[in-house]
Amino acid sequence: MIFPFTAIVGQEEMKTGLILNVIDPSIGGLLIMGERGTAKSTAVRALADLLPEIEVVKGCRFNCDPDGFLCTECREKLLKEGRLERERRKMRVVELPLGVTEDRVVGTLDIEHAIRMGERRFEPGILADANRNFLYVDEVNLLEDHIVDLLLDSAAMGVNTVEREGISFVHPARFILVGTMNPEEGDLRPQLLDRFGLCVKVSSIQDKFMRMEILRRKAAFDDDPEGFKRAWAREQEELARAIMEAKRRLERIEITDEVLESIVTITSSLNLDGHRADIVMMKAARALAAFRGKERIGLEEIRDSAGMALNHRMKRLPFEEIGAQEEKLELLLSSIGDGWR
Amino acid sequence: MRFSEFVGHEDAKLALILNAIDPRCGGVLFLGEKGTGKSTLARLFKEIVPEGTRFLELPMNVTEDGILGGVDIEETVRSGVRVYRPGILERVNGGILFVDDINLLPPEMIAFLLEVQDRGEEIVEREGMSLRYPSVFIMVATMNPEEGELSPHLLDHFGMCVLWKGLRDRMDRMDVMRISSEEIFQRIPKTDEELRRRIELSRKRLGDITVPEDIELYIVQTCMENGVSGHRADIFLFYAARAYAAFCGDGILGREHVDAVAPLVLAHRRRMAQQMEEMEEEQEHRHEHGDEGDSDTPPHDTRPKGKGLEEFGSADSYRIEANPKEDVFEIGTTFRTRRISFKRDRIKRLALGRRTKTISKGKGGRYVRSVMDPREKDIAIDATLRAAAPFQSFRRMDATYPTAIVIKPEDLRFKRKERRMRHIVVFVVDGSGSMGVKRRMREVKGAIQSLLVDCYQKRDRVAMIVFRRDGAELVLPPTSSVEMASKKLKDIPTGGRTPLSAGLFEAYKLIRRTYIKEKETRFAVVLVTDGRANRSISGLPIDEELERIAGILRGLSGVDYIVVDTEDKKGFLRTDLALKIASLLNAYYFRMEDLRSDLLADIARFAKRNEEGVRCAVPVD
Repeated sequence: MIFPFTAIVGQEEMKTGLILNVIDPSIGGLLIMGERGTAKSTAVRALADLLPEIEVVKGCRFNCDPDGFLCTECREKLLKEGRLERERRKMRVVELPLGVTEDRVVGTLDIEHAIRMGERRFEPGILADANRNFLYVDEVNLLEDHIVDLLLDSAAMGVNTVEREGISFVHPARFILVGTMNPEEGDLRPQLLDRFGLCVKVSSIQDKFMRMEILRRKAAFDDDPEGFKRAWAREQEELARAIMEAKRRLERIEITDEVLESIVTITSSLNLDGHRADIVMMKAARALAAFRGKERIGLEEIRDSAGMALNHRMKRLPFEEIGAQEEKLELLLSSIGDGWR
Repeated sequence: MRFSEFVGHEDAKLALILNAIDPRCGGVLFLGEKGTGKSTLARLFKEIVPEGTRFLELPMNVTEDGILGGVDIEETVRSGVRVYRPGILERVNGGILFVDDINLLPPEMIAFLLEVQDRGEEIVEREGMSLRYPSVFIMVATMNPEEGELSPHLLDHFGMCVLWKGLRDRMDRMDVMRISSEEIFQRIPKTDEELRRRIELSRKRLGDITVPEDIELYIVQTCMENGVSGHRADIFLFYAARAYAAFCGDGILGREHVDAVAPLVLAHRRRMAQQMEEMEEEQEHRHEHGDEGDSDTPPHDTRPKGKGLEEFGSADSYRIEANPKEDVFEIGTTFRTRRISFKRDRIKRLALGRRTKTISKGKGGRYVRSVMDPREKDIAIDATLRAAAPFQSFRRMDATYPTAIVIKPEDLRFKRKERRMRHIVVFVVDGSGSMGVKRRMREVKGAIQSLLVDCYQKRDRVAMIVFRRDGAELVLPPTSSVEMASKKLKDIPTGGRTPLSAGLFEAYKLIRRTYIKEKETRFAVVLVTDGRANRSISGLPIDEELERIAGILRGLSGVDYIVVDTEDKKGFLRTDLALKIASLLNAYYFRMEDLRSDLLADIARFAKRNEEGVRCAVPVD
């Protein structure tokens, strides 16, 4: 039984970061950094309840998009039958546990099938399950290096190509990567860090009454999970509806030159690598505007998405004070939009 | 022996009782020295839980498969149907898991245990299996902090922690809240039967206990005042207090219940660094009082000396203590260090840690190639099938085999795997007067502190040797506690001459001693110095002495050397003596500023050699 998303107290930035990724999956995921015991994992698992349905090829083990890149099986089917049937499936949060083995990530030879039937058949791995879903890695900084390599490979290509144990198979593997980590336990490799579209930092809530509320809700949930869920059903439905509505409105949000200029002003003044930051920031601001029911992106949306898009991309130069880049960002954010109406 | 016959340790008993009443209390960790009855009491726990409750003990040599479950591959090949062998976490569902000496398990395995306990469900994604099953259990664990630490992150998952006698006495002076043993002693029934009935009854009462709002506030405030991080403490404290109220037979949760159990819930959540510091101060305090003699006299050295090194016999250890006139510099600014790892060797290990690649003895790791060596435990299906393929048409003529593919023992191929391991990193630090020039020592300490953080993240063990004045001292034997090392680092004084060979000799002795016990260990000796040796320990000329000791060190197997040159290269008196020592040791050589992480250098995959043949950048494998 999963704790309802809407019943999580506080941690607004983390919740927003997750919701934005549901609204626009191309934002590219979320990294949640923070102390232990701050509802990081709870929030990610709770997200499952709010996820919308997607259209897939009927019966496909890889969640293939009928209008997108197809897996080996769907392609053969299309060739044979000339058309593909469709069905709707709810998006999921797929977990990558720490003790995972390589073959379970990419998929492997179906041993049972091989031995009984003497045929080679591909058995899908987690990357297959994760296609067009959320892929959640708890303690992502503790993941073994060779597993990280596998994730990076398929994240870069959007495809998982398996050439091992005598089988060759290709299937789409586009996932929204969500990771949590406690930075005290170790760093994340820069390549992996950059893969996360957004990053939020969470810390313990210091407000007594909010903490009492956390305690109360947790105890109530433990006591009667079903009843607790019922009590929160309306909030859950409302949020799910708001997310769907934002998804629909997303394409209609206008991106003005002023917006683009402001974003570029911010990113070019900071010490960043590459252009991913600009794109992510633009997309996050747009999703935020859609979620807030606006017609266009406003200054608030740029401000609110800047931190999330840049938290993990700002590098500290040697000998620079801790927090210097953050201060610079603050300054930039307060100065943008002076010329706006 | 019966639970109720166990004498003393009322707080530990209470912790077990509360968990028996409400498993949501989150388990117990007993923290204490060897031979103090921790494990005995933990095993007696099964006497007071309902009959038929499973009690499993996690064996020390458990494999990942043993914990998480996995494919029984031989059985699978034989029967043609995938046979799954459940792990301990599945079998323990609804029962009690006892983990003796939990800190000796690989950190990864501890993480599995705690993650599953937290979630109440186990997810298996291994070897073609994808399963979920419930796994709700009470975890009781013990550890002896002298044998290594648990990270605060892992500690936080335990609902309660009991500081065992001895350890507790040392912490007495600290501001630790105490359980009132007398009161609890009065409350615990005198026979196991009675206690079991009482627990049963309390369990039924749990739901009827009223929780006033001001008590919720009191719980939250108590946690916040103790500076815990996150919100787990609040929740554990609530469950513990409620279980205690039920145990006392009270209908309303009150402050007295919270106060009574708070020490159990909060002991391990205060910041560890703070605790260490307090313990240290205490020890120093005692030391001052117990040892009033002349501090200049070196204490008698009882450690064994290295064989065949009689000429260095005079290199006895000296206590490194600051003179009032000498400086003890603060730790300067820290930075992120570059990636440092070493070449893989041929030894096969049950690898722990995250630094250097090694051939793995266990299940984990990356499958690099298949071998015929049956000592490897995992069958490589791909290679096995390939080996069996040519004989299929022949073998299938024999109708006694029901499967499509016939595999015989001689076809079996096994996986050779690779993963990363930790090292013992021995810091050999120059504390001589020349290091204090222009407060250089501050920066040096900052650089060492940065390396220590890296060691923690790579899960290395660390040791520290300081040489100055007339000798060298092992100030910290190998430990997993980087916090300890950091504390020792802070205290290193600066002043006096430079007995560099004494420092190296001390490292030699340490490595020899440790190697006898742990043959698989790899060492990295990090020598931090400006290289200006000016004190001989054998009477030989300094250069000759250094050359000889470096030769002996080079002869040790499984040891890598790093020299960190602290000399100010812009200075007027640049000597580059540390570079010479690096070439004597065949060491990797860094100037202090080279230690910083720098993306370009990290990408460079080659060890550049300078004109003297010294490797100047560490290769990233």
